[in-house]
Amino acid sequence: MKIYTAKIDTASALKVVADDMILTTACPTAAGSKMLDGYMSLFESEALTRLKNAGFELCGKTDVGEFAIDLLGETSYNGACTDGEKILNPTAEAVKANEAAIALTLDVNGSVRRAAAQNDLVSIKPTYGTVSRYGTIPVACSGETVSLLASSAGVLKEALDIIAGHDDKDGTSLSEELCASLKKDAPTSPVKRVAYFANMFEGVSECIAQKANAFCEILKKNGIEVVEVEESVIAASRVAWNILMSAELCNNVSRYDGVKYGYRTQNFTNLDELYTNTRTEAFGELLKTAILFGSETLSTDNYFKVYDKALRTRRIIVEAFAKIFESFDAVLMPACSKTEYTTQDIEANKYLAFEENLYTAPASITGLPAVVTGGVQLVGKAFSEKALLDAAEIYEKESK
Amino acid sequence: MDKDTLRRLEMLNQLSLTEAQKEDVIAFFEKRDSELSVLEAIDTENTERMVHVMPIMTVVREDVVKKQFAREELQKGAPDTDEGYWCVPRVVE
Repeated sequence: MKIYTAKIDTASALKVVADDMILTTACPTAAGSKMLDGYMSLFESEALTRLKNAGFELCGKTDVGEFAIDLLGETSYNGACTDGEKILNPTAEAVKANEAAIALTLDVNGSVRRAAAQNDLVSIKPTYGTVSRYGTIPVACSGETVSLLASSAGVLKEALDIIAGHDDKDGTSLSEELCASLKKDAPTSPVKRVAYFANMFEGVSECIAQKANAFCEILKKNGIEVVEVEESVIAASRVAWNILMSAELCNNVSRYDGVKYGYRTQNFTNLDELYTNTRTEAFGELLKTAILFGSETLSTDNYFKVYDKALRTRRIIVEAFAKIFESFDAVLMPACSKTEYTTQDIEANKYLAFEENLYTAPASITGLPAVVTGGVQLVGKAFSEKALLDAAEIYEKESK
Repeated sequence: MDKDTLRRLEMLNQLSLTEAQKEDVIAFFEKRDSELSVLEAIDTENTERMVHVMPIMTVVREDVVKKQFAREELQKGAPDTDEGYWCVPRVVE
């Protein structure tokens, strides 16, 4: 069972572990891919620099699935991290074992949120643009965000206060003024009304349904109104996100050709063979499928029918959330359909990650913040991270 | 999705799949095609595309060099270099 791709001895009490999508200069960054095996970056992630400047020390790197598009990390070229049957998420394992106070991760397709939900941890995917993506491996740039994982919401609040803020080096970074609402001393409007997305809970396991019920009971006990809401458009997020994510991924991984850095095949006689054999040997099956799918969505025949349609659907979904947030402060939905995935699940359906993201795609495609706690997910208005984490703290306090 | 189309996509993306992988990918594409009905059911005729979810403007900044890396540092991870150049197989015969 490989959790770390590199481990650093440190006596610091403030330890941070970074997943393998976060660039570091102290140890290699491979994005879970043979293509980048042993790759040493010349610069590090802005979020990590900010944490280090605040006193945190990097204690190691945890493995991820190839370019972080899978369920929990099972497609890493190092092999899946399992207990023999159940698939484990390396980053969550490091946090659970108290090897780090927090984990810095890149949320591309929801793996960190699924890991938080299945391990009774807390995660925050901040509003898109509030945490710099400088120094991360780009995959699906229009929706991926640097995220945090910890064992309590309080720790996440502290860490978010450190990493949130404008960064000139990231062209998608929002202004300091907008990012200020994530800071510790910013005024907060508490969560008072929560929309319970009933249709999103259809098909989840009994255990996830129970966790949601327990979560709702605690909210209600603390004066937070929970109202069942039927919403059908948001469920389309998954299909639209799979299109946009694959299209962006296809472009982003086109840079890996075995010339300037990374893996190079030994089996070539000309340039074309060098490119093709390098990519064919280094990329895994799920990634290859996503590349081909993304490429097809951008082709002349499909551009308007598929890619353009997904971009227009994104606006419809953003508007649907905005309408809900006229009456509610947050939306409650699952982060995954069940409490564990097994190796048999993947054998039965190797593209399960493109189906389980039904629950994580809404926040990814809209850029809205999402907190996972108590095995469920609260998606809030843009810049409402503090209120979501306050709600998570209420749950933590009451569930102990 | 047929095998000829898939072969074209493979060539465009510099990939070469095994026969078994081709079958898997075609099955994946067929499933995805059937799911497009979810999007087709949504009326987007009068809806603008949304590329950025946040109010992000094109960044304009002064062209100031802040940090430079030495060529040797940049080429450290390269599979094959020679006197500061990246090496590839001969292109012109």
